[in-house]
Amino acid sequence: MAVDRRKVAVFSAAFILRLVLVCLFPSLPDLLTGRVEVSTPVNSFKRLQEGLFLYTRNVSPYDGGVFHQAPLLLPLFALLPDVKGNPVPTAVFYFLVDLVNAHALATISESGQSVQSRLHSTIRKHIRWDGASVAAWFLFNPFTIATCLARSTSVFTTTGILFAVSNAVSGNSVNAMLALGLASYLSLYPALLFIPLVLLCYDQRAQKLPNTVSFIMQNASILLSSIAGLLGLSYLITGNFWEFMSATYGFHLLVPDLTPNVGLWWYFFIEMFDSFREFFLGVFWLHLASYVGGLTIRLRRQPLFVITSLLGVFAIFKPYPSISDASLYFAFLPLYRHTFPFMRYTFFAISAILYASLLGPAFYHLWIYAGSGNANFFYAITLVWSLGLSILLADSIFAVLRDEWEQDHPEARGSEVKQV
Amino acid sequence: MTTFSLLSLLLTLAVTLWSSSVLASSDYHEQLFLQPLPQSSLLASFNFRGNTSQQSFDNQHFRYFPRALGQILQHAHTKELHLRFSTGRWDAESWGPRPWNGSKEGGTGVELWAWIDAADDEEAFARWTTLTQSLSGLFCASLNFVDSTRTTRPVVSFEPTGGHSSTDGLHLLHGILPGEVVCTENLTPFLKLLPCKGKTGISSLFDGHKLFDAAWQSMSVDMRPICPPGGECLVQIEQTVDMVLDIERSKRPRANPIPRPVPNEQLVCDTSKPYNSEDTCYPLEKVTETGWSLMEVFGRSLQGVCPLAGSDGEQSVCLRVPHERSVFTSENALEIKKDDGYTRCFKLDPSSPFDLAVHEQQMNTRVPLEDPILHAERTIVGHGQERGGMRIIFGNPSETAAVDFIYFESLPWFLRPYIHTLQATITGRDGVRREIPASDLVTETFFRPAIDRERGTQLELALSVPAASTVTLTYDFEKAILRYTEYPPDANRGFNVAPAVIRILNTPDSSPVYIRSTSLLLPLPTPDFSMPYNVIILTSTVIALGFGTVFNLLVRRIVSLDEAAALGAQNIKGRILSKLVMIRDMLRPKATKVE
Repeated sequence: MAVDRRKVAVFSAAFILRLVLVCLFPSLPDLLTGRVEVSTPVNSFKRLQEGLFLYTRNVSPYDGGVFHQAPLLLPLFALLPDVKGNPVPTAVFYFLVDLVNAHALATISESGQSVQSRLHSTIRKHIRWDGASVAAWFLFNPFTIATCLARSTSVFTTTGILFAVSNAVSGNSVNAMLALGLASYLSLYPALLFIPLVLLCYDQRAQKLPNTVSFIMQNASILLSSIAGLLGLSYLITGNFWEFMSATYGFHLLVPDLTPNVGLWWYFFIEMFDSFREFFLGVFWLHLASYVGGLTIRLRRQPLFVITSLLGVFAIFKPYPSISDASLYFAFLPLYRHTFPFMRYTFFAISAILYASLLGPAFYHLWIYAGSGNANFFYAITLVWSLGLSILLADSIFAVLRDEWEQDHPEARGSEVKQV
Repeated sequence: MTTFSLLSLLLTLAVTLWSSSVLASSDYHEQLFLQPLPQSSLLASFNFRGNTSQQSFDNQHFRYFPRALGQILQHAHTKELHLRFSTGRWDAESWGPRPWNGSKEGGTGVELWAWIDAADDEEAFARWTTLTQSLSGLFCASLNFVDSTRTTRPVVSFEPTGGHSSTDGLHLLHGILPGEVVCTENLTPFLKLLPCKGKTGISSLFDGHKLFDAAWQSMSVDMRPICPPGGECLVQIEQTVDMVLDIERSKRPRANPIPRPVPNEQLVCDTSKPYNSEDTCYPLEKVTETGWSLMEVFGRSLQGVCPLAGSDGEQSVCLRVPHERSVFTSENALEIKKDDGYTRCFKLDPSSPFDLAVHEQQMNTRVPLEDPILHAERTIVGHGQERGGMRIIFGNPSETAAVDFIYFESLPWFLRPYIHTLQATITGRDGVRREIPASDLVTETFFRPAIDRERGTQLELALSVPAASTVTLTYDFEKAILRYTEYPPDANRGFNVAPAVIRILNTPDSSPVYIRSTSLLLPLPTPDFSMPYNVIILTSTVIALGFGTVFNLLVRRIVSLDEAAALGAQNIKGRILSKLVMIRDMLRPKATKVE
């Protein structure tokens, strides 16, 4: 097997950078673990530690309000040495997970699926980043590094999603569905990626197109059985099915913990009138799910971009978003490097995102520690952050639509367009 | 007999003596115990105790047992009840061990625990709710707020004090309201439970103005069954009021309670100071013991003896001062000095009022105060409204014996402890801090984590503190942010955290010794209460912007600028036509598909 030297260099540089950060600033992981932008109630490493503590002492971690993560993480982390005494193995484990994620991303990039697929072929194939650059963009993104150092468990969901996509672009639909099953089992929301992922797998089998309905049913059954298998394993671990179901998925769905995060839900549901709480929970979830249909239909020719955009939607509108979701979206965006020239508001979007990422911690400090600001300070920043991300999302969708249009109208290449 | 207190022993002895003499019959006793404490304080400890046979209790034939309470207990199937109303802080460093060894004391606010007869946990909780609701009405206290989030089921911290025929169906439930302000509206119903209702006997001394002005006070109601071997079972109710009055403060006349500076000529100055002059004085500490009388500190005199109380020989008022101190009493009262050199009791004339005066006097001997078995304090550390830490310090003053105890803590659900961060440090007399694994000190842990809006955290630790050392336990916690309707009107004041209860196990005579820490104030992050509408509108706007732009892109068609100009330049007729063209365009691919 030929070793790609650039990729090896990128991977080892990323590994060393993380190691240096941990060694130079030993308190950095704990600091980042405590940041609300990085750790949410559903991916916090500290809560995982608490759950692990109870689990290893034969107390059900789900019979409490602290631990809301998937049960299979418990035996996994029980194998690693205690973090308090020996933090290095856990940290290295997370570094490796990050590298595995980057590798999957490089695979996706190298497949060329974003520029050339069964129904779509852009005329700008030459503007493209190779796998190593995309992996480097992911690995050296400060959001990814922060997530990795904070040991947030959402990296495992990221792994699941990236492996699902990388298997789908290589036409391995069974593995893709198994990986998606793992991601959905860990965080519930990746299940919404099922339809675009199936379409991606379907397009990969261009030579011998199978029957559409039976193909979808087949994949759905693989997904469901993988989730059922994981839930069965979890039942064996916890011994109380409904207790862990309500503590994990019930928690995702009903959003009882309103700890601040970068999303839009927490402050809205703090201030919501009690009688409308359930109604707006339903509306917010419906809103999140509504993008699946619209994007899948309109961008039928590019299911990989549908997945990218949905990841962006999740990073903005899911109940407990963190910067790890944004970092996953940012990781997928360079796959569409060829559409960047069509983007119209990049300056504004990037400024808004930078503004929010720099001022967010400051305003949070003013509210929680200094007492010279109130909750509205941090809330306003989360609004700006969401706004910046949604501008970026909309702009990238526009750019891709424009690219598709040029593919259909090669004669009009480079001309100004308008939407009617 | 090392660290055990004489005071507590005395009280316990007195009680044991009574119990042995009175178990056989249904009867009523009351006693007042007074002891001056350092820093010109006065401990007044009132005890009222009534017995009724189990049979007459079951037949609702009440004599000494208050009917109002008895019926509530029967309705709620409560077999044993302990109710406490407390304010203030017992200063263990100056005043020594607590009266009754802390067993008649509650945490700041209202504390209630009861053994309820029920088939299962749900039924027990339903009956507990009945009990708290009824007691809330009876005692004018907010006990109805003891809901599932404030109710715990301690495993090892409490044991039944009564003689229960079987403890199989008994469920212990414990609730505490640390924010409850105890005041006169709780005293009045408390007095109504007494057979003499505060009209005669020692209960005639109660005055809400004085009682709730005390540095520390605790009112308790205990109901328990007592089954002597071979005898008939009794139901006992015991009410106590313990208070520590600041003598100087209590002596101020009610009409003019503002403290005045001592006039210059009455000041005792340290004349050895070089700057001592007409207008400069370094005041000397008083060498004499403060004088006081019942009339002065309680604002009223004692109205004879409750006619229902005890037999003829009963000495219902006892005072613990050295025998050499002169004590003046009203006529017709008989003074009996005990052999221990410090205690004297008075036999009162049933018909005439009684007053007792101790004059200011220079004393050579003092009543000895023992060291408490254990010092305990609990504080919240850290800053910011996001997370914090709990620090509990246990000091063992004994040079020889280790102290084994149970530490019990019930935390509100919005304080989320991380029990894996529990750490211990131990400091010896040499002052060197050593970090040790918490498991070296904690022999057993009972932990029940909180569930949001359903139940609070319950933590019970069985600990052992070695001799002559101080142990500090710490753990981290996180502060939850609540929905804005869940905050009280004074949200930025903070939330009360219930006091911890410490039960000392290895006491010399195996009687229970309890210590309670002070309650804590926990500041939580607060949202902006003034803008629910603004938040709903702003968040909805951002969501609508995202949704709107994305779907706007998705449903529109991209055309080149020339086509767009052609479309836009048309008149109304042209526009309608173009719409038609658009509709045709939309239909065409469908048509081809159908073919």
